[in-house]
Amino acid sequence: MDLTLVIVIACVVVAVALVLVFVVFGRSEANFTFDIGGAGPRASGGSDSSSEKTLSGRLVGLAVTVGAAFAALVARLWSMQLVSSEQYAAQAENNSTSTVYSQAPRGRILDRNGREIVGNRPSLTVVASSDVLSDEVEMQLLGNLIGMPAQAVRRKIQDTSEGQQSLRTVSVDVSRRVVAYIGEHPEAFPGVEVQARTQRSYPYGSLAAHVVGYTGTVTSEQLKASQENSSEDSITYRSGDVVGQTGVEAQYESVLQGVRGEQKVFVDANGNVLEYSTNVEPQSGSDLVLTLDLDIQRAAEESLERVMGELRDTGYAATGGCVIAMDCTNGEILAMASAPTFSPNLFTGGISTTDWEALQAEDAHYPMMNRAIAGQYPSGSVIKPLTSFAALDYGVCNTGSSWYCSGWWTWDGNPNSLPVMKCWWETGHGSMSLADGITFSCDVVFYEIGKGFYNNDSDGMQDTFRRYGLGSATEIDLPGEATGRVPDAQWKWDYFKALGYSDSDATWQGGDNCNIAIGQGDMLVTAIQMVCAYCSIANGGPVWRPHVMKGVRAKVGEGFVSEYKCEQIRDVEEDQAFRDVIAQGMEGVIYREDAAQATHWTNLDVTVRGKTGTAEQPGGDPIGWFIAYAPAENPKYVVGGNMDRVLQGASSAMYVVRDVFGAIYGQPDTSTTTTTIAD
Amino acid sequence: MAADMTGPGTSSAGPLSSLTQRARGAHVSGRRSPLDGIYLSQLIPTLLILVISVANMWVCSLSLENASFTSHLAGIAIGLVAAAAVWRYDYRALSNMTTALFVLACVLMALPRVPGLGLEGGLGGLGWVRIGPLSFQPSEPGKIVTIFLMASACAQYNGKIDSFRDYAKLCGTLLVPLLLILSLDLGTGLVVFFLGAAIIICSGAPRAWVLGTIALIVGAAAFVVIESSIEGIPHILQEYQLKRLTVFMNPTANASDDGYNLLQSMIAVGSGGFLGKGFGNATQALSGFLPEAETDFIFATFAEQFGFVGSVVLLGLYAWMIFSTILLALRMESTFSKLVLVGCVAMWTFQVLESVGMCIGIMPITGIPLPFMTYGSSSMVIQLVAVGVVQSVWRHRQKAA
Repeated sequence: MDLTLVIVIACVVVAVALVLVFVVFGRSEANFTFDIGGAGPRASGGSDSSSEKTLSGRLVGLAVTVGAAFAALVARLWSMQLVSSEQYAAQAENNSTSTVYSQAPRGRILDRNGREIVGNRPSLTVVASSDVLSDEVEMQLLGNLIGMPAQAVRRKIQDTSEGQQSLRTVSVDVSRRVVAYIGEHPEAFPGVEVQARTQRSYPYGSLAAHVVGYTGTVTSEQLKASQENSSEDSITYRSGDVVGQTGVEAQYESVLQGVRGEQKVFVDANGNVLEYSTNVEPQSGSDLVLTLDLDIQRAAEESLERVMGELRDTGYAATGGCVIAMDCTNGEILAMASAPTFSPNLFTGGISTTDWEALQAEDAHYPMMNRAIAGQYPSGSVIKPLTSFAALDYGVCNTGSSWYCSGWWTWDGNPNSLPVMKCWWETGHGSMSLADGITFSCDVVFYEIGKGFYNNDSDGMQDTFRRYGLGSATEIDLPGEATGRVPDAQWKWDYFKALGYSDSDATWQGGDNCNIAIGQGDMLVTAIQMVCAYCSIANGGPVWRPHVMKGVRAKVGEGFVSEYKCEQIRDVEEDQAFRDVIAQGMEGVIYREDAAQATHWTNLDVTVRGKTGTAEQPGGDPIGWFIAYAPAENPKYVVGGNMDRVLQGASSAMYVVRDVFGAIYGQPDTSTTTTTIAD
Repeated sequence: MAADMTGPGTSSAGPLSSLTQRARGAHVSGRRSPLDGIYLSQLIPTLLILVISVANMWVCSLSLENASFTSHLAGIAIGLVAAAAVWRYDYRALSNMTTALFVLACVLMALPRVPGLGLEGGLGGLGWVRIGPLSFQPSEPGKIVTIFLMASACAQYNGKIDSFRDYAKLCGTLLVPLLLILSLDLGTGLVVFFLGAAIIICSGAPRAWVLGTIALIVGAAAFVVIESSIEGIPHILQEYQLKRLTVFMNPTANASDDGYNLLQSMIAVGSGGFLGKGFGNATQALSGFLPEAETDFIFATFAEQFGFVGSVVLLGLYAWMIFSTILLALRMESTFSKLVLVGCVAMWTFQVLESVGMCIGIMPITGIPLPFMTYGSSSMVIQLVAVGVVQSVWRHRQKAA
């Protein structure tokens, strides 16, 4: 550097000397101009003055051209170095700095009692700097040690998604043996390090998999969305980031995702780090506490699995099922299970193609789908309490009405009329009150109610269903919720006309009313919608928004930095006399409908009210439903679920619901009798 | 080299033009300063540029592998010695040697094509020759030879070209060495073309013919470019040559090396700002982002360190040097002297315009050296020889007295 100073000083001295020389001696040249300029042209005047003029003119022209060239250069320099200088400086800065990113651990996901559903485990990761690329032998050695081809090692090191200057991940979750070997032979592995990173871990395996969801490398769509939405508090992802893809992991991504560390470095054109600059340490994401209770959740999942297994043993497909346990006083979800399920662990560090294909296969019955919120099924008889409210509200019947069930029903009562619609109990229930209609799930009662609405030309049933939240999302804090469908005349017309049906086929018929009165036809509901509707019945009106998030835990201590604000989403008004009738009917379902069925509930201390349901479906066995709430006197819990492709609700979903109540009250179901004659 | 080049015809008592004889007594006022034989108005800016060049190359040599400081100094030293020799030599001896100059120009331009002599040179260029341990670009001395060739050819008409035959002959004289070099080294070819054209124009060719010729050339150039862009026919310009010519219009749209180079060069110049990043502080040029930082993009290297102020000073020195040469040409009596100076002016102007212009994206990319600044001894020596020529013109201005 001293030499540089010497040269600079020498240059300056020489330059000053040159300028001095010019100042002192340069004048003589001006005299030359004076002498010759005056004498020359005049002396040569006469005959060829014109050529002399041409030459001078051309030289002046040359001077002008030279001047123009220099003016153009200076003008351009002016615009680049003075006007747009900052923009170029930013580009130069961009060129010569680079950022190395380090992943922050995601927040954990805990149950309501603080037990870890999703955590982080240390994962020993072999990383290598890009220099290793130039060492074939080292890559071969590393490949042999880890047990992967040298070509794969090369590709891993070539991946720059964590930043040009960052160390490249070669292998995650390597064994202690590998770590020890690399540690003992540092000379053989220059540029290779072992880092302790974190990976998602699932201490309870696939428990609550549908609720917590899984994480995965950010997709190109997510990447694009995050870059377009550049508001202050949203996270802007980088390629390679691990983000929540479904469930709570996706819903509360902004809470769980930490802030990645950024180390700014100065680099040269070849990417070599010249200097380290500012450093931002990674900040781990916040822990999220869910409303789930792991014990209830586990009981729910085990019960689903067990009951489905038993049904399969007796010849039913039992392709799927779900159950939800909700605290109807505030909307907290205590358990939400869906079967078949999947292991979110498969997605840690990237899911393999075989695993992904297995999850997508048709005969796997869509294990990735959370049936509790995304499964849309006909409701079957579990809708009958709502139909009853509708009938009472709109005066289609009153609390004293009664009907006679002979096992079959036609529109005009004439047995020769078509179509003949049957009660599920084909020998007939005999004389039925409205409460009996619910208890015994007598279809004839509800056919009459549907007919009554048709005759009144009223949409009262659909309006009542909508008042209870059917046909619209509950807006539970989980992604992927379906809205179901409450069909009416307008919908039917639009839907079937669009499919090219005739006018008569697309017109609302009386039979459509009878169908939706028993939750059949084009009715579609989700389990969470039905559970919320039953919350209203249990609470005598109010429904709280269902949610799985209890709060975000503080980094220090046990408190919450933010808590879910419970919110009442609707309050359905009904006459108390009407409520009593329905309550009577629903209590009857538990204790009167069938003696075998009652044995499962009499061994529970609290009084339960509920409703079974069996909905016919195209393409196979029906779907069985059961929803109940307890304690009847002062309801606290609503538990409901369904099971696909079974005989009926009483022998499928009911057992699961009973097991969940068993877990809630610590009183397991001891009855082993089964019923085949309830709805 | 310079001595070789001017070798033929070393007779010191060359025939004098009638015009210089008339200048008798003009400069015999008795005030003879010790530097009387030196045209300071042109030499001082040149030397100042050399000082800048030395400082600039020192910084380059610290961080760039290809730039050797001693080699640069050696180039300057050889150049100064050659320039001194040329300065002492009476250039007027060459005014009547058109034929010899023509042959010499053609030989120099064709030399790289001689099997055994040609050498694979820089970026796609083949203009290098190796003789013994020495390798150089014969097209560089070819430029000086062409200046004298065109000046001597044009001077015969004494500032008045009346017949179209004569005009065509002059153009033809230029065309032969031009075509020889143009097909080999586009950049040098363009320099030769511009200095030749400037001499012909300044020698008094009628305006209409000049304009006609320019129109013809523009048309031909357009044809060449268009022809080379059409798929499926044999191209006159290689693809890389065409790309270099057109990339400056939109550097970001072109992912080629040239587009990248130009972008980096513009970032270097632009990020220099008003005062520059400081001596030796060129993050673009000296950290390897700017390729060819010591040759093709030397101006960007300089401008990044010294900013707008430094760039204007450097360009001002060039302008000073060039305008004083024009001034000298205006004062000279002899057409030959005038035209020689015009040739030097045209060469410097075009090389500065092209070399600086390409760094800032207003000229196509061709590897033309920036006089006195670019690393490379062939160019340095020849540029200093050209300075020697100007000084020689000054020194021999009053020979008659």
